[in-house]
Amino acid sequence: MLKRAIAALGLGLAMGLSLASPVLAADAPSEIKIGTLYASSGRYASISMPVHAGLKLWAEQKNAEGGVYVKAFDKKIPIKLVAYDDQSNTATASTLYNQLITQDKVDLFVADSGSVLTAPAVTIARDHKMFLFDQTGTGASFFSKDNPYIALMSDPVSTIWPKPIADFLTKDGPALGIKRVAILYSTNEFTGTQANALRKFIKEANAPIEIVYDQGIPTETTNYTVILNNIRAAKPDAVIHLGYAPNDIAFLRNVQDLGIKFPMLFSIYAGLETELLEKNVGAKGLEHVFTYVPPSEMAYPVNFGMNIADYRKAWDKKYPDGKIEFGFNSVAGYTTGLVIEKTLAEATSLDQMELRRAVFSLSGKLKTLDGTFALDEMGGQVGELTPLGQIALNDHGHIKFVAIYPHDVATGKPVYPRP
Amino acid sequence: MLAYPLIAGVLFGLYFSLLGIGLNLVFGVMRIVNLAHGDFLMLGAFVAFGVFYLLGLDPLLAVPLAFMIFVIVGIVLYGLLVPRLQGSRDPEMLSIILFFGLSQVIEALVTIAFGTSERSIPSRELGSLTTTVAKAFGAKPEGGPVEIFGQSFPAAWVISAAVSIIAIALVYVYLYRTRLGTLTRAVMSRRDEAFATGINVDRVCAAAFGIGLGLAAIAGVFAPFMFGSVTPAFGADATVTAFVIVVLGSLGNPLGTALGGVVYGICYMLVQTYLSSWADLLPYVLLILVLLLRPSGLLGRKVRVA
Repeated sequence: MLKRAIAALGLGLAMGLSLASPVLAADAPSEIKIGTLYASSGRYASISMPVHAGLKLWAEQKNAEGGVYVKAFDKKIPIKLVAYDDQSNTATASTLYNQLITQDKVDLFVADSGSVLTAPAVTIARDHKMFLFDQTGTGASFFSKDNPYIALMSDPVSTIWPKPIADFLTKDGPALGIKRVAILYSTNEFTGTQANALRKFIKEANAPIEIVYDQGIPTETTNYTVILNNIRAAKPDAVIHLGYAPNDIAFLRNVQDLGIKFPMLFSIYAGLETELLEKNVGAKGLEHVFTYVPPSEMAYPVNFGMNIADYRKAWDKKYPDGKIEFGFNSVAGYTTGLVIEKTLAEATSLDQMELRRAVFSLSGKLKTLDGTFALDEMGGQVGELTPLGQIALNDHGHIKFVAIYPHDVATGKPVYPRP
Repeated sequence: MLAYPLIAGVLFGLYFSLLGIGLNLVFGVMRIVNLAHGDFLMLGAFVAFGVFYLLGLDPLLAVPLAFMIFVIVGIVLYGLLVPRLQGSRDPEMLSIILFFGLSQVIEALVTIAFGTSERSIPSRELGSLTTTVAKAFGAKPEGGPVEIFGQSFPAAWVISAAVSIIAIALVYVYLYRTRLGTLTRAVMSRRDEAFATGINVDRVCAAAFGIGLGLAAIAGVFAPFMFGSVTPAFGADATVTAFVIVVLGSLGNPLGTALGGVVYGICYMLVQTYLSSWADLLPYVLLILVLLLRPSGLLGRKVRVA
């Protein structure tokens, strides 16, 4: 009787231990499947390919080291990047996102770059209860209290991104003589949200700033000559252009072609994809343009992964032909990899809600080359803020950034009006 | 306020005419829809990149070079693809599928070779040769925008409009003042009858196909200046725009395209001025309106009796 009781107790203990401890290494999968999309052609290729190349660089680097440490299995496991080309088409992206989840049965689900191509992934992830590693989709509508299946990896959420512009305009602007502001934006989730936020910040500030031109245009716009003529007629002191990289290229080229010199001119991608913009607009065309200062210029201290200098070297070694530009988006893709790596090292299983818990546990603690990774309760990125800066040319005619606002990170004074 | 979009519309519209005229010439002669038209336009832009970045020359010199290259490419492609297509039961429908495939292949090959990023050429470089020559003769040409009726426009627009006018005039001369052009019009009018009268239809069609591609390539040389930048994926959008312009002017009548381009250009600039959020709907709205109200296009009647 006693023997039976001891045996039963032993069996019970053994079962309890087996349930409580992590899954044995012997049960571990041969690879961790990370599913994602990229756009090798179409309108969003120039922002998607650098992000994907950054993520790929991270994955190859980790696989060369034998994989990433996965706490759930207490061992290093190689990564398999399952990636399909959506060709910048949202309908194709929807099909492929579904395929990644239902056919490929990926362990981790990563969106393509940019809000337009992230949008279908948000709904699909939620429907399938898959946690979405949102790389650079900053659209405000993606993040809500009733959607736990998303977190933004790299860019600040669009509702707070333009805060430094608005603060500069409303706090420093009047003293500089900025009273009339023109806002031109592309009508998509990314820049539309930024325009709404900027408008709101300016109005709430109650500063003597008047918005004299406020117009949305299709994202596909490639010619701004007539629009620029209309903006010029409104006599603005500052022109804020919110568009994607191809929009910025066409816009800034048209400004040059028409010989217009707005006293202040802001564009997003002058800072985010500087190499691409310089190639197309020229250094002179970017001189004195206000923009977001990219992480490559801030050299944030890191506690995980490569710093910006080492990453740049690794990038140049991996992509020596220069077909994909190094910039903000290339950093974003690598940052996604770092967050995934840390998440797998934290999560006790590959359950999607456990992955979410692990991602959120990194908030405020993880410091990468992209800045401090910090999430709000809805998964919006609130840590990796980009200051407002202005592009200047050094003595050799090369581009350099001058951080303008907030003042605590400023490295110089604004040149206003543009000479 | 109204003068600016009107003048801009005429200038840009002339360029739009150049964009569509090659597509219409090919359709008019062969009754095949070249869905790769925009991709040849994109390749023309890459010829301009080569002329400027590799040879360091004025991109304007890419105009004759691109034309010659793509006339030859067109004649070779014609020999490879079109006779078999014409021999099929439904060449018009099959041409859509075949040239869509060709479009995809061209885009993929250019992407592999050059990457996906936007490319362009500094605007001041267009026409730099003429500026240098003018300076050598003591003139003092001023850079920057060009003033027309007190309004300033990019110099590239004026140059491309001028080249477009020349190209359209040459197409007119070709069609109405040369023997090959007369034969071309005969094939456009009644292909079977032209064949029965002993016209070498294949030779006429090959020339028209080559010229059509050559015209697309010329339009492509100016694309980086007119659209800010060009990517390997540029072709699809360009084909749609060209198709709308062609239908607007009259499908099958190359010279109708000249009018279609200008009308499209003016409409586009007016919509950008007064309803800019809706500008990308314009091609489709115009297409629907033309098909509903005047399916033969603005100059439709003339083509049927040409």
